[in-house]
Amino acid sequence: MTFIASVNGTALAVFAGVVGVTMIITYVASKRISTATDFWAAGRALTGPQNGLAIAGDYMSAASFLGIAGLIFVFGFDGFLYCVGFLVAFLAVLFLLAEQMRNAGKYTFADVLAYRLKQPPARAAAALGTLSVVAFYLIAQMVGAGVLIEALVGISFPWAVILTGAFMVTYIVVGGMLATSWVQIIKAVLMLTCGIVLTVWVLSRIGWNPVDLFRDARSNSSDGEAYLQPGLFLSTPLDTVSLGLGLVLGTAGLPHILMRFFTVPTAKAARKSVIWAMFLIGAFYLMTTALGFGGRAILGQAGEKAVGETGNLAVPTLAQELGGDLLLAIVAGVAFATILAVVAGLVISASGAVAHDVWSNIVRRNRDSEGEEIWVAKIAAFAIGAIAIGIAILGGATLNVSFMVGLAFAVAASANFPALLLSLTWRRFNTTGAVVGVLFGVISSVALVVISPTVWPGPDSEGGALSWYSLANPGIISIPLGFIGCFLGTMLVRERSAEAKFDELKVRSETGLGAYPATGTTLTGGTGRRRAAAAATATMVPPV
Amino acid sequence: MADERTDTDWVAIERSPEFQELTRKKRAFVVPATIFFMAWYFGFIFLTGYAPDFMGRQFITDGLTVGYVLALTQFVMTWVLGAMYVRRANRVWDPLAARVRESVEGVPAADGTGPTTRFRRGELVTDQQEEVPQR
Repeated sequence: MTFIASVNGTALAVFAGVVGVTMIITYVASKRISTATDFWAAGRALTGPQNGLAIAGDYMSAASFLGIAGLIFVFGFDGFLYCVGFLVAFLAVLFLLAEQMRNAGKYTFADVLAYRLKQPPARAAAALGTLSVVAFYLIAQMVGAGVLIEALVGISFPWAVILTGAFMVTYIVVGGMLATSWVQIIKAVLMLTCGIVLTVWVLSRIGWNPVDLFRDARSNSSDGEAYLQPGLFLSTPLDTVSLGLGLVLGTAGLPHILMRFFTVPTAKAARKSVIWAMFLIGAFYLMTTALGFGGRAILGQAGEKAVGETGNLAVPTLAQELGGDLLLAIVAGVAFATILAVVAGLVISASGAVAHDVWSNIVRRNRDSEGEEIWVAKIAAFAIGAIAIGIAILGGATLNVSFMVGLAFAVAASANFPALLLSLTWRRFNTTGAVVGVLFGVISSVALVVISPTVWPGPDSEGGALSWYSLANPGIISIPLGFIGCFLGTMLVRERSAEAKFDELKVRSETGLGAYPATGTTLTGGTGRRRAAAAATATMVPPV
Repeated sequence: MADERTDTDWVAIERSPEFQELTRKKRAFVVPATIFFMAWYFGFIFLTGYAPDFMGRQFITDGLTVGYVLALTQFVMTWVLGAMYVRRANRVWDPLAARVRESVEGVPAADGTGPTTRFRRGELVTDQQEEVPQR
């Protein structure tokens, strides 16, 4: 990678710009947040489109911005499968969870999961699910950030990780969800703009016929016809199905995505935000065609060396080829913003699990003050950030980033999603079912990944692959196990109180009766209170 | 947990014709739509896994494959089903949900005697910590 030294200055300037803008937002936000609702739910006063952008910013990580285009560059068609799974997943979120979250929850998805169950065990289970997902996802993003910044700016890996972690913790401790949301909104705008510029540029290079992307990419690949067919990356059919299952159900169990639905005033706004997110995210994933296949078409066989084994540097390399060092620096800055927005979203959801679910509800039995809850959340955010920095530096480049993101989705789909869905739809479902289901989901997905060929890569590696188990993606086994755990646990005992409260949860989640109102805190302030009140009146959510 | 509406008869609301109409109409869309999108999505996934040659076949013009076109249909499906959901929610389900809320919260009567409500057993008890916006 010869461009490291030459780009250093420009890239640093772009990075400083990104950090500067986000820090100003954080400072402004810090003046506006006072209650726990401000801290965790941005005052519930984001509009649907704003939250849609924030969801896009929260959801599309470096794996989406760089990873998918890289996979397409290296393996062709198989990379595009991820785009399909990541997008279709939002139908499950929209149909089954988005409005229900807003109507029946407060700060974390555990509020809904534990609504009619025994609080301490149900919240402990939800916190375990949340923290497992966040742990794998966060460390993957931190390692990705370190590798990327080291490659693009020249800051050494440990320092790059520490810097990323420091900014992430600052956003949350100082500016809470209000700052995090706006960092995510800005990141989404930057990322989409960057995608559009690159796509148009690529199309102009190949003569405006999109099909030429495929033709030129194919002729530039040593795999020929096979490059446009499935099978280069996903060679085991059952593994493909398992991955597909994990992708489509995982999103509906991601704690940081579910948490976003608490930041809007009404269920109607929650619904609107999913639609916005669907169009924004879908548009970006369409553009990965130009970035991935286009990268192959323009950079050619020679580009293979520059983009790295997994292709993570395909987009930066393409940017440099098209627009020189300046465009490369801008892409690097956008990638940095991308990672910052995602890790901030992850950490605030983890801090919610620790402070709201574990501390406030389990340890203090709801006897703590709101101020105490916020303080515990800030300490938790700091501690989680420090631990993630430590693990990322110790594990370093040996940690496989895409494998850890895949694991995060598998845990979300196997542990969080079944319990949440059944809590909303199955009257008989109870506390034991939730606890057993989450445990089954977490343990089975982690265990299956530990024995998978991703960890034991092949006959020539130490220890050797397990001959009787060859799935890299655990979903097809661990997701049914999560549901079976919920079912078996439920059938063990009869919990009349949980069944009795089913009607209440159902009515509340479908109608918004008694839902928490917005406090009206916005980044720009002023009209916030009036706007929130107007929004509440317009959709007739009763401020009971 | 949100406020404690200990006075509210949730079972009665759940069984009320208003609420039943809401859930019935919503289910009539969500269940078939979910089955459809799952079937279309997993059809694509299974073909990718088990029929790579078919997915690699040329579609209309050289370079464009059946697999890529089917992937594009997934994008279209997501957007269309999403838009259909929102349209129904805004036009049909929201007014029904509002009717359920009104039947519980009550609407002020014309003679100013205050809200008349069904489903209420006693005084409203709340433990809400959050500030309530002024209307």
